Amino acid sequence: MSDITLQGLEKRYGETTAVEDVSVEIDDGELLCLLGPSGSGKSTTLRMLAGLETPTEGAIRLDGEDVTDQPAYDRNTSTVFQDWALFPHKTVLENVAFGLKMRDVPTDERRERAQAMLERVQMGGYGDEDPTTLSGGQKQRVALARSLAVNPDVLLLDEPLSNLDKRLREDMQIELREIHDDLEETFVHVTHDQDEAFTLADRIGIMNEGELIQVGDPDEVYENPKNRFIEGFLGDTNFVDATVARTNGEAVYVETELGAELILPSDGAHGLESGDELTLSLRPEILSIDRGEPDAAATATADQRAVTDGSTTNAVAGTVANVIYRGSTVRYSVSIDGASVFAERTDASSGSLSAGDDVTLEWDGEDVLAFRADGSRVSLREP
Amino acid sequence: MTEATSTSASALPNPISAVRSRLATQSGSRRALLLMAPLIAFELLIFVIPFAILLRISFAAPSSDGVYHEGTWSLEAYQQVFASDLIWSVLGYSFFLGVVVTVLSVAIGLFYAYAIWRSSGVVKSLLLFSVVLPLLTTLVIRTYAFDPLLVPAGLVPGTAGVVVAQLYIVLPYAVLAIYSVMATTDWHVVEAARDLGASRPRSVLEVVVPQVMPGIIVAAVVSFAWSVGAYAAPELLSNSITFAIYVEGLMLSDMSYPTAAALSVVMLGLMSGCIAAIFGVLNRFGGDFELA
Amino acid sequence: MTSNLHRETVETVAFRAGYLALFALMVVPLLVVIATSFSDGARIAFPPENLSLTWYVEFFDSIRWLEAFTSSIIVGVGTAALATLLGVLGAFGQEFDDSSLGSVVAPLVLIPLLIPPVILGITLLMYFNEGGLRGSYVSIILAHTLWATPLVYFVMRSVFSRFDWQQLDAAHDLGAGPVQSFVHVVLPNVKHGVFVGALLAFIISLQEFVMALFLSTSTTQTIPVLAWTELRQAMDPMVSVVSTFLILISLGALALAVIATNLEWVSKQLS
Repeated sequence: MSDITLQGLEKRYGETTAVEDVSVEIDDGELLCLLGPSGSGKSTTLRMLAGLETPTEGAIRLDGEDVTDQPAYDRNTSTVFQDWALFPHKTVLENVAFGLKMRDVPTDERRERAQAMLERVQMGGYGDEDPTTLSGGQKQRVALARSLAVNPDVLLLDEPLSNLDKRLREDMQIELREIHDDLEETFVHVTHDQDEAFTLADRIGIMNEGELIQVGDPDEVYENPKNRFIEGFLGDTNFVDATVARTNGEAVYVETELGAELILPSDGAHGLESGDELTLSLRPEILSIDRGEPDAAATATADQRAVTDGSTTNAVAGTVANVIYRGSTVRYSVSIDGASVFAERTDASSGSLSAGDDVTLEWDGEDVLAFRADGSRVSLREP
Repeated sequence: MTEATSTSASALPNPISAVRSRLATQSGSRRALLLMAPLIAFELLIFVIPFAILLRISFAAPSSDGVYHEGTWSLEAYQQVFASDLIWSVLGYSFFLGVVVTVLSVAIGLFYAYAIWRSSGVVKSLLLFSVVLPLLTTLVIRTYAFDPLLVPAGLVPGTAGVVVAQLYIVLPYAVLAIYSVMATTDWHVVEAARDLGASRPRSVLEVVVPQVMPGIIVAAVVSFAWSVGAYAAPELLSNSITFAIYVEGLMLSDMSYPTAAALSVVMLGLMSGCIAAIFGVLNRFGGDFELA
Repeated sequence: MTSNLHRETVETVAFRAGYLALFALMVVPLLVVIATSFSDGARIAFPPENLSLTWYVEFFDSIRWLEAFTSSIIVGVGTAALATLLGVLGAFGQEFDDSSLGSVVAPLVLIPLLIPPVILGITLLMYFNEGGLRGSYVSIILAHTLWATPLVYFVMRSVFSRFDWQQLDAAHDLGAGPVQSFVHVVLPNVKHGVFVGALLAFIISLQEFVMALFLSTSTTQTIPVLAWTELRQAMDPMVSVVSTFLILISLGALALAVIATNLEWVSKQLS
C-alpha cells in the first residue's frame, strides 16, 4: 500500500516526446485508470512507474521516497503486461513463484504462497500446467496472480484485458475491481476502453499526445470534460459547428448548419464575441425525438423565445434517415437541412419511427457543451 | 481534483535532471556496449589489427635472407606484383574460375532450392539432408571425393574437374542461402502469375527470382569469394596455379612476406571491387537488400 | 489442350530428373569415400576389391592419427566455447543497442567469412609470429573463432528477434536483476539456439583446414590437415577411414541439432 507522486514526468526518444510534463498524485489504495487512445503515452507513463523506462525528466515518489532512478527489480511495484508475458518454459506455479524466488523466499514457503495466490484467482488446479496451453482468460489470471504474489506496493496493469473477448473482459473488470477492494492496494490501470475505465476506476486520468489532460472522478470527467478531445473520446456525441451571432447577459446566440438560431444560456462568463467559431456537443441522451413538425412557439427565433418566456429549449425539424437497433436502445440518424444528427431512445418509448418520418428534435440549451476552435471548453456559467 | 498539468520544478533549467536525462539515454547503449565489448575486442585483435599489420608488411622492403626488413618503407613488393606476368596470369585464372563457378552455382542453386521449396514430406527432408551433409564434411574430403582415382568414369582432369569439385564445395551454401529466402515467400503469388497466363518456367523467372534476389546475392557473393580463393580443388585435381596456391608458395617456400602481403592486399582490392559489382548488378533486378 | 498437357508432363519429368541427378551428385561422392574405407589394398580403389576393416584397425593403432584426432577435438571445443560466448553476448547486446555501434558490428563480424582462408591464414601467421603464439592450439582456436563467431552471432540474432522481450520486463519487474533475469528467463528460452550455434561452431572448426594448415605444427595438426598431407603423399585408404569418421561425427552432431530443433530450421540457420 502506497501513495504515488508523479512530478513533471517526461520521456523523450530522440526528437519525439512520448510523455510530456505529467504530474499527478495517486492516493493510497486508490484505483486510478489512465485512459487514452493508443500512442497517448499512457503505457510509457506506466512503464516509468514500474521502472522499466527511465524518465528523461521529472520525479516519481513512492510513499514520499524518490524512486526515479531505481531499476524495476529494486522497486516494489508489479506489472500485469498486455500480453501477460508468462514465462513459457516454466509451469504456472513456477511463474507465480518467480518473484518470490527472486526475493529468496524459501522453496516450501514460496510454493505455498504461490498456490494460495493461484487459488485466489480461481486457478488453484492449474499449478502444474504449461502456461502456453491456457486460454486467454486463464493466462490473464495467472499473470495477475504472479504480480500479486510479491505483495507489491502498487499493482500496475498495462491493458491486460485488451486481448480478451468482450464478454470475458466485462467479467474480468468486475473481478479486478473486487480484488482491488479486497486488497485495498493502490492500482494503476492503463486502458483505451472508456467503459472499462468507468467500470473500474476511482479516478480517471485522460491522456492524449503525451499529456495528462484531466484527472477526476468518473462522473466529474464525464459531466465536465475539460476539452473537446475528452468530450469526443468519452462517448458518442454530435459535434455541430457554430458561429456566435450575438451575446447578452443571459445567453449566447449561435448560428449553425442545423438552420435555426440556437440558444446557449449563459451568465456572461464566457468571454465570447460575435463571430467566434465554436463547436457544440449535442449528446444523444439530451435530445428528445418526436414525430411531427415542431409547433410555432418552438420555431420562433431563439431571441423571441428567451424574451417571451425565458425558455432555453431549442427545437429543429428533420427527417429520419436511418434506424439502427442496438439492443436496448434504438439510434435514429436524423437529417436536418443536409446535416446529420443522431438521437437515441429506448425502444420501449412510444411510437416507433422509421426512415422518412418527419420528426422534431428538442433539447435544453443548458445541457449543451461548447468548445472553442482550439478545443478548450467554454465556461458558460461562473463555476 | 488533482490538477493534471502543472508547471513544476522541472520546468526550470535543472542541471541534475539534465545529467540524468543524458545518462538515461545512454543506459541502454552502455549495457549494449558492455555485452558487445568482448566480440568487438576479439574482432579488433584477431581481425582488424592483423590486417593492419599485413598492410604494413606489404610496404616493407623484401629481404633476401629471410622474411622482411623491419621498419622500412618500400613499394618494391607492389612493383614485383604488378610487373610479374606470371602473377597476372595466376590472378586471371583465379577470377575466371571464380566467375564460372559462381554462375553455375547460382543457376543450379536456384533450381535445387526451388525443388526443395516445392517438395514436401520425406522428399523435402532428403533433399535438405543432401545439402546439409556435404556442408558438414571437411573441404579436404569434399575435394578428395572427386579424385580421379575414385571416379570410375574418369572425370575429365584439369579445369573441368576443378570446376566440378569447387562447385561441390560452394553449392550447398548457395542452395541454403537461396532456399532460406524462398521459404518465406508466398506460393500464392506464383499461382497468381500462372492464373494470369505465365507458363511454369516463366512464372518462376518473373515472380520467384525477383523475390529471392537477396538470397541470390548472398549465394553469388559467397560462391565467388570462396572460388576465387580456391586452394584445395586446384591443388589436388589439376596442375593449374591459382592465387591461393601461388601465395602459399610465396609465403612458405620463398619466405617473401612483403610480396605475399602485397599480393594479398591487391587480391582483396580486386575481390571487393567484384563483390561490389555483384551487389550493384543483382540489386538492380531485385530491389532492396541490406547487409545482415 | 493435349499439347499443353504434353508440355506439362515433359516439364515435370525434366524437373524431377534434374533434381534427382543433383541429389545423386551431392550424396554419391561421400558414399564413394565411405565405400573405399572398407578396402584392404594398399592403394585406394573404387570399387574396393575386397571388403575388410584392415584400415580401421590401422587407424586405432596409429598414434599420429589419434593425436590429430585429439587436436581436432581440443580446437573444436575451444572454438565452440569462445565463439558461443562472443556470439551470444554480442547478439544479446545488440538487442539493447540504440547507437550506431550495432550497424558496424554486423558487417565487421561477417567480413572474415568472405575473405579467402589463405589470406586469413597468411595474415594470422604473420601476426602470431609477432605475438609468439605460433604453433599453439590457441592460434588455431582464434583463427577458427573468426569463422565460427559469425555463424553463432547470426543464429542468435534470429533467435533473439523472435524472443518475447516483454518476458525480460516481467522478470525485472518481479525483482530479477540483470544477471538473474538472463539466467532464469532469457537463457532457458534461447538454449536451443545457443546449442545449435555451438554445434555449428564445432563443426566449422572440425572441417577447416586451410587456416589450420598455416597455423599448426606437427604436434597441433588437426585431422583435415593430416589428411591433406597424407593425400599428397600416399593414396592409401586411411584418408577414407578418417573421412568416414568425420562424416559420422558430423552426422551425429546434425542428429543432435535436429533433436534440439528441426531440420528445416537448422538448414535455414546454416545459410
